[in-house]
Parts: sequence; structure tokens; C-alpha cells
Amino acid sequence: MDDALERPRHQPATTTLDPAEEESSGGEDGGLDWTKLPKIGTARPVIPKRGEKDFEPAPGGGSGLQVHVLDRARAAMFDALKADRAISSKSASYGIWCPHISRVHVTVARGIHFSVMGHSAARPTLIDDGSMKLQKRLELLPEEALYLIERGALFCWKDIQADLTGLDDVEGAPMSVQQAFAEIIGKEDLTLEKYQVFAYLRRLGYVVTRTDPPSPSYPVPSPRIGGDGASLSFYRRLSSIFSLFTTSFLRFWRGSVHWWRPLRISRWIHHDKSHSNVLKSLRVIPTGHSVAPHSSRATPVAPSSPYKIFYNMYKPSTNFRKTTPPQPDFQIVVINARTAFVPSLYELTELFNVLPETPPPLPRKRGTPPVVQSSPAAVASPVSTSTFRHIFSWLLPSTPQPISSQPRPHPFAALKAGKKNIVIAAVDSGNISFFRFSQGAFEEWPTL
Amino acid sequence: MTQPILLRVSNFKAYVWDVDDINILRSHHHICGILTGTLPHLSSQNIFLGLPLQLMPEEAVLLVENGIAVLVDDPSAHHTPSPSVLKSWKEARLNDVRQQIALTEEKGSIEASNPDRAMSENAKRKRKEREERRARAKSDGVPCIPAEHSPSPRPTPENPSQTTVGETPDNTIAMPSGSYTVNIPASSSKLEWYAPRSHISLTIAREAGIWLYPSTLQERARCGVFRDLWEKGYYMGGGIKFGGEYLVYPGDPLRYHSHFVASVIEAPDAALRPMEIVAHGRLGTGTKKAHLLCEWNDETQVVSYLSVEWAGFG
Repeated sequence: MDDALERPRHQPATTTLDPAEEESSGGEDGGLDWTKLPKIGTARPVIPKRGEKDFEPAPGGGSGLQVHVLDRARAAMFDALKADRAISSKSASYGIWCPHISRVHVTVARGIHFSVMGHSAARPTLIDDGSMKLQKRLELLPEEALYLIERGALFCWKDIQADLTGLDDVEGAPMSVQQAFAEIIGKEDLTLEKYQVFAYLRRLGYVVTRTDPPSPSYPVPSPRIGGDGASLSFYRRLSSIFSLFTTSFLRFWRGSVHWWRPLRISRWIHHDKSHSNVLKSLRVIPTGHSVAPHSSRATPVAPSSPYKIFYNMYKPSTNFRKTTPPQPDFQIVVINARTAFVPSLYELTELFNVLPETPPPLPRKRGTPPVVQSSPAAVASPVSTSTFRHIFSWLLPSTPQPISSQPRPHPFAALKAGKKNIVIAAVDSGNISFFRFSQGAFEEWPTL
Repeated sequence: MTQPILLRVSNFKAYVWDVDDINILRSHHHICGILTGTLPHLSSQNIFLGLPLQLMPEEAVLLVENGIAVLVDDPSAHHTPSPSVLKSWKEARLNDVRQQIALTEEKGSIEASNPDRAMSENAKRKRKEREERRARAKSDGVPCIPAEHSPSPRPTPENPSQTTVGETPDNTIAMPSGSYTVNIPASSSKLEWYAPRSHISLTIAREAGIWLYPSTLQERARCGVFRDLWEKGYYMGGGIKFGGEYLVYPGDPLRYHSHFVASVIEAPDAALRPMEIVAHGRLGTGTKKAHLLCEWNDETQVVSYLSVEWAGFG
């Protein structure tokens, strides 16, 4: 069991960090040493190490050395902050911010960013002969545009209703990053918290898209096979009411309840009293998440609940195609930590209802690769009985599942990973913390 | 008294966009805020962030109440420039571009004598690296790899500005139209059509509908506790990752560790569950901090403090 648990979840990123960081209270304490930042333009950008910090300043505002080191650190920080966004005219992209539709219309798209950002939308455009025509054009969502402006890849004009003749390449009022922050945030459901999460993940190379398409032309992953969604959650709730009765009824018919057991001879021959059998027969109340939590209210989750999935997230390694995005690797809820509470069980249930199930983590391979065998039952069963069984299967005692030779995942690893996962990003005025809530499938991994 | 610092407010959030203002706030008023933007020259990491500086609402309230700063409604401060203003902006830009191209050409003419000088810093760096790499490949496994190169992660491919800038130096000289640098200004202060109108007090800002904090008892308690600790000379940071409202530092967080994690209790009769004390005591000790319970009395406007530490007898 230790093998499965000690399996590293991801590559440790601490290879370049010095041990001093580990001992300083988790590194969250903002132990940043700006003096280790390379001077702008002198060397290739290197993510510097965190510096060491002192316990407290010496009485009277710090010793001479402390003051000197602090001044140096501050000066380095302010130097780094003064860096301007200078791009070569050959690599600059251009766009026009249209506040009335909350989109940036990209007029010149350059660089690799546009392989994962932006979508095409048909808008009525004035063509040469003076008539209006629907034309496809590349558009950016507010967060995408702001991110590109901020990292110095996109020069943005603001669409102004003014006569711009004689100004050839000027397409509006030039926007500063400050203006972009002031005007672009707040449009199309984008809050500062959501933008901060978006930018944080994009800076790390993740691909981030919206879960709910803000407009029909925005590409989203095709619906999952099996039709999860709101209808299912309704069905689940309905079925959960009856599940208590139906399961016991079905169990009676299928023969899980062995009412004739005392009559069977085997009972008197074998002593069928292993732990698992005894415990199984004791399990009267159904367990697991197929039973929705009970509530006296019809809709236990208020419509104003902040727990709504906002972003789809893809790992950098995922083969992402902008026009036909695949199913996301993670889905993210962004909340404001100052106003939102910890999610209630109902809110989590609501989230899990729309999420897909993830397969349990595979155990670590040792030596030989596992041999996949086709199950013998599928080949052997004759047609005539199989149709009969198919129709009346719910009436008949269930046949034992063929034991597959697939390596069984370790139960603790599977329980820890959970069946369904949701990432919640809590933002407290610029501080982002990511949490993962997962639905543990305890009923599927009985530790018997 | 110097000019008050302008806090640019949009969507009920206060930002500082001028580096000098950030310096003043930090050095003179021990207000840190949190940097939240992308550093343009280090855009693929989250450890060091850049402009703007986002202020916690408590910080903004304190600065305005003390007359150190005033609030500015930022979206309405950006006016629409008239065509004539745009024209002059465009001419200024054209002049700048022409100068840049002229400079490049001038450098190009003396390139024959010294090939290094005509290139941009970036290009030089790239060339130096290329040469180093070649040298390294030749001497195969010589241990004297420069320290700043070996542990650096490769810049991710989503960084076009660097790669493309590096590839263009030859074109820069050859192309008659010339390549130049496009600057995206960070702050709006230098734009001609930026005219901020300041709101001197919180009441005025509240009437204008741009700032509402503090509006509840909890928010008042936070502001009260923040002010009290700030007046004692502490630096404060966000404490959400340590289970409290604030981290309390004895000096600049750049150089010193925090001593306390402060959590705000709204009223003297507010319930405090024993589990909270256990959790705070445990977590605070585990992170070498003491947990500070700060109790706000809204009637007398006084804060009383209690600190919790894990004694660990037995």
C-alpha cells in the first residue's frame, strides 16, 4: 500500500530552491528577494531564489546592515517594477476594445498566444461598397485581452465614436494598462478575482477557457457522452427518494437477500462466515453519493451561491485545439474569500452533479507491463440465453463478475483521488489559494 | 505636506500605478499592498509580480482617513481624446519611431567595425548564449557552467516577445521600413486625456458610488483592528494562508518574518468556539507565529488583544 501512496503526484518543483526556503514557514510568508532578480535586459530571465529573512529589526529601526539590506531589496523591487512593456513592432499584436460588446477585436494577431486564446465571431462589418455584411473576425474575451495587454503582447485601442480620418493607423484611443484594468474588468462577468486566477494559471502555461460560453460563437467542449447535466441531477434526486425502497426490493428479487439460505445445504456444509460476508449482510442502509443529501427546501442551493464553475483548465501537455476544445482536465470555481463561506454539502453536491467521473489512479507499474485479457464471459455466453438474461437481468440473481487481470488500483489512493474533482480558487485581495474538493467513493472501496 | 497619493478605484478596488507612490507608501507609511500584475520582462512565473499594486480595502480606508491618499474614480478619469489630441499623440509617436529607426541605421553603419554594438541588448544576450552553448558543446561537460544559466528553466514557448526579438536583429538592419519598439504605457498619468477627479473623503466617495467599504460591522471591525496595529508601527499583510485576517510583521515583509497571525473578532460578546482556539494555537505554533485574537468594540472603538500559543505540556 505504501507504493501507491508514495507515488509522486507531480514533479517536485523545488529542485532549484535552496533549503533555507523550506524551513521558513512554508514559503508563503512572502520571503521574496528582489535583489536576485536579473537587471532588465542584461541577462536572460531567471526565476530567482527566495531570499532569507531576519526575525525582526534591531531596536531603533534596525541595525546599519539591516537598513542597508532592506534599502537594497526595495531598490531592486522598484527597479523591476519600472520595467516598461516594450515590444518589437514586428511581434506586436493590435486590437480594438469594443466596450458595448465586451470584446477586443484583434486586427493584427502575432505570436503563439493566439493558438490558445481568442475565438472567431461573425459581426456586421462595413465593407468597401458601403453595405453591412456579416464577417468573421478574431475576438478576445476581456480576460484574454487584459492578460495580453498586461504581458506586453497586445497594443489595444479603445473604440471611440470619432472621425479618425487622416490618422491612418490610429484605430481609436490608445489604452494604457491602467485603463485596461479599469475598464475591462467588470465586463462579461469578469471580476478582479476571476482575472487574477486566469492570469495566474496562464502565466504558468495552463490553458484556461470559460465553462459557460459567453456568446454562441464561443467554442466549448462537446457535451459528454452519457448526458450528464441538469436533467441528470433532477433524475438523481427523484431516484434517490425511491432508492431506499427499490434497492431492498431488488435485492430481494436478485437474491442478495438470501431468505432461503437456511434451507440451503451449503450453509450446513461450509461455514460461510468470513468477515466480508458478515459485514456485507449487515449493510442495510445504502451508502454513497448516489443518495443525495436530504433537504426540507426544494432548492437548497440559493441561486446567488458563488459556487458555480467558471473556468475550464487544461494542462500545458494537453493537446488543445482552440476550435474544438477537448474535455477539460480541471474545472475551477473562483470565489472571493472575503464574502464567500466554505461550500455547503448541497453546493458541493450540485457541483459534483455536473462533473464527470475520473478513473481511479493506476497503481505504479512494477517490472512487467500488465497483460490485458478479454473477459471470457463476453465470448462464451450463447445468444439465446444472453437476450433472455439481458431483458430479465434485474430479476435474476447476478452472475459473478469475471475477475480481470487488470491491476486493481490501491483503495487508499483511489479514495484519496476521489471520483469527481473540483478546484476552488479562493482569492482574498490578491492572495490566491487553490483547494481541491473531491468526492470520495467510499461505497465502492469497502475496506473489508 | 506633499501631494496626496492618488488611489485609482475601479470595481470597488483600489490600485496604485505609480512606482514612486508605492515607494512612499512602503517606506514612509508602512503600507505594502499586494502586487498583482504581470512583470513584463518575467512574464512566465508567479513569484514576482508587477504593477498594479492592489490595496486591501482596510489599507485604502486608513490612507484616506489619514489624508495620505485620495480616491479617484478611474474609469471616468479616462476621457475620450479629441481627434486633434490624437493627432498630436500620433505625431509624437511617429517622431519617436523615426528617431529609433535613425538610431538603428546609424548603428548599422558602424556595424562593420564592431558587430556587437548594432544589436539590441536582447540580441546580444542571445548571441552570447549561443556562443557559450557552442563552447560548452565543444568542451563537452566542463564543469564551469555559469551559475545563473544552469538552474534556469527554459522560457516557455508562450513567450513570443523574447524569441521573436532575438530572431529579428538581421532584419532590423535590412528592412528599409525598419523595426521599432512599441511601448504599452503602464500608467495613464502621462496621457493627455487622463484627468482624475479626486474624492477627498470616504463619505464623498460613498455618495459618488465608487467606494463602499466599510459598510458592515465585520468590515468596521477589520478597519479598526488594522488601524490599531498599524498605529503601533507594524507592517501588515494578508493572513488567509495562515488562518487569520492579517499577518503582523515587525518590519518590512521584504526582510523580516511575521510574528503574529491576527484574526478579528467583531464584538466583545461574539462567540468563540474552543475548536478555533485549538486550531489557531496549533497552526500558529507550527508556523513559528503566535496567534493574535483581536477583539473590536464598536461602541468604544477600542481593540483588545489576546495571543494563543501551544504550550505543549506533558
